[in-house]
Amino acid sequence: MQLLANVTQLKPPQRAGAIEVKNVGQVFKTSTQDLVALEDVSLEIKPGRFVVLVGPSGCGKSTLLMMMAGLRQQTTGTITINGAPIPKPDPDRVGVVFQEASLFPWLTAEENVEFPLALRGVAKSERRAKAQEALKLVGLDGFGKRHPHELSGGMKQRVSIARGLVQDPPVLLMDEPFAALDEQTRMTMGDELLRIWSATGKTVVFVTHSLTEAVYLADEVIVMSARPGRIVDHLQVPLPRPRTYEMLSGDAFGKLRDRIWRHIRKSA
Amino acid sequence: MTAKTLRHLIVIGLIALWEILPRTGLIPELFLPSLSSTLKAGWNEAPEYGHALAVTLYEVAISMAFACGGGILLGAIVGSLPRPRVLIMPMVSCLYAVPLVILYPVFTVWLGIGTESKIAFASIYGFLPTMLATAAGIQTIDPQLLLAARSMGATLSQRLVRVIIPAAIPTVLSGLRVGGALVIVGVVVSEMLISSAGIGYLISRYRTILDSPHVFAGVLLVLFMAIAFNALIKWIERKTAIWQTGTRAGQNAADEIGSGAVQPAT
Repeated sequence: MQLLANVTQLKPPQRAGAIEVKNVGQVFKTSTQDLVALEDVSLEIKPGRFVVLVGPSGCGKSTLLMMMAGLRQQTTGTITINGAPIPKPDPDRVGVVFQEASLFPWLTAEENVEFPLALRGVAKSERRAKAQEALKLVGLDGFGKRHPHELSGGMKQRVSIARGLVQDPPVLLMDEPFAALDEQTRMTMGDELLRIWSATGKTVVFVTHSLTEAVYLADEVIVMSARPGRIVDHLQVPLPRPRTYEMLSGDAFGKLRDRIWRHIRKSA
Repeated sequence: MTAKTLRHLIVIGLIALWEILPRTGLIPELFLPSLSSTLKAGWNEAPEYGHALAVTLYEVAISMAFACGGGILLGAIVGSLPRPRVLIMPMVSCLYAVPLVILYPVFTVWLGIGTESKIAFASIYGFLPTMLATAAGIQTIDPQLLLAARSMGATLSQRLVRVIIPAAIPTVLSGLRVGGALVIVGVVVSEMLISSAGIGYLISRYRTILDSPHVFAGVLLVLFMAIAFNALIKWIERKTAIWQTGTRAGQNAADEIGSGAVQPAT
């Protein structure tokens, strides 16, 4: 019931949120040599999909995410979100959640969530209302007045997700958001994220190191190889939703995990 | 007994000793006049001390404005831009090791023995730690915070006002605490060396005629000034930086400077 009550308060899911990456390359120039971080990466993500990027360290998956966020520009190729390129960050189209919660320690939870709205001069009362709504969505109703140091790691990451969602962007990009959390919190947060995702209908692109997390969360898993970063596999996860803990030990789950692992072992 | 009550007891004990030791003759009044005779001496010459205090406070206020304003401004530039940092920082670090008081006679030649030379000296004296702390405060800002702000569409000026300044406040305040204390030192020391007015001047003049009670009355005034300044900074810290309780990389630098681990030569 709680969940239904939350859903009715949100706008209806938007169909916007398509991501297209075409022949994207990224070269880092250093004084001694050019480092190819990404080479000819192309992929298409349909609106409302939950897509996970996995790959060994240094395969450029975070770089690719930063380019989708407009925080970094590719050397070659094009990236479009909702059909338009993204030359700089655009919080109306893309929300970003980082590994460390990266909340501003001098602001309360609700002020942190309001931050992107405050940047664009949204009125205080409207800001507060939207922040309340977002905090409720992530299950932090009543914690708005706390400062980050008074919150646990999982709660901080919830605030961070609320901040990414507060402007209701069709796309949510997540860069190893649960990497700093302990195993149990990580499991709970995964379920929470799936709940939030199905309640909002966002397109989610999620970067992780954990293969279990990848298969458990994703509609599609994109596997990348390192140096230069390339897409080596793009697999569908046919497991039904909602995902349950029991699926982790199932055959289908194991096969998908093995397939990803073989790619990664080869390139690492 | 808590540490706080113990601290209070120690202070009360020291004050009592100040009265008792000279009275019983254990310490000659010339070396340490009793608290009561010190207060009496100060009270009898109240107008003179009042005037001296006004001069000193005026010099401190102006120097404080120069030291803090300049220190924060230049510290911000040096902290955020690598090129000026490379040019200026080695120079500042060297200067920090120089006993700046050697410059004071030069200032009196340039500016006379009035308030100007004190203000010039104390400003430079307090400027360095303020600047170093500000630069450190800005350099140690978590880059993730700036990246997050950028991802939410923050412009450069929004990042400055909403992220860089609030993130740097705790470290800058620690710098102000040291810088401000040094301004007081600078003003009083320069008054004692060459001058014609101010508390330092009074202390030095009464010392030459071995009038200990009047010397100590001046010392007491300087003491109160320093304590009041420290209380003011603490109050500002409480008001602006409630979030300091969280752990943060820059906090170490702030503590180091705040606790006086980094100190200039005098």
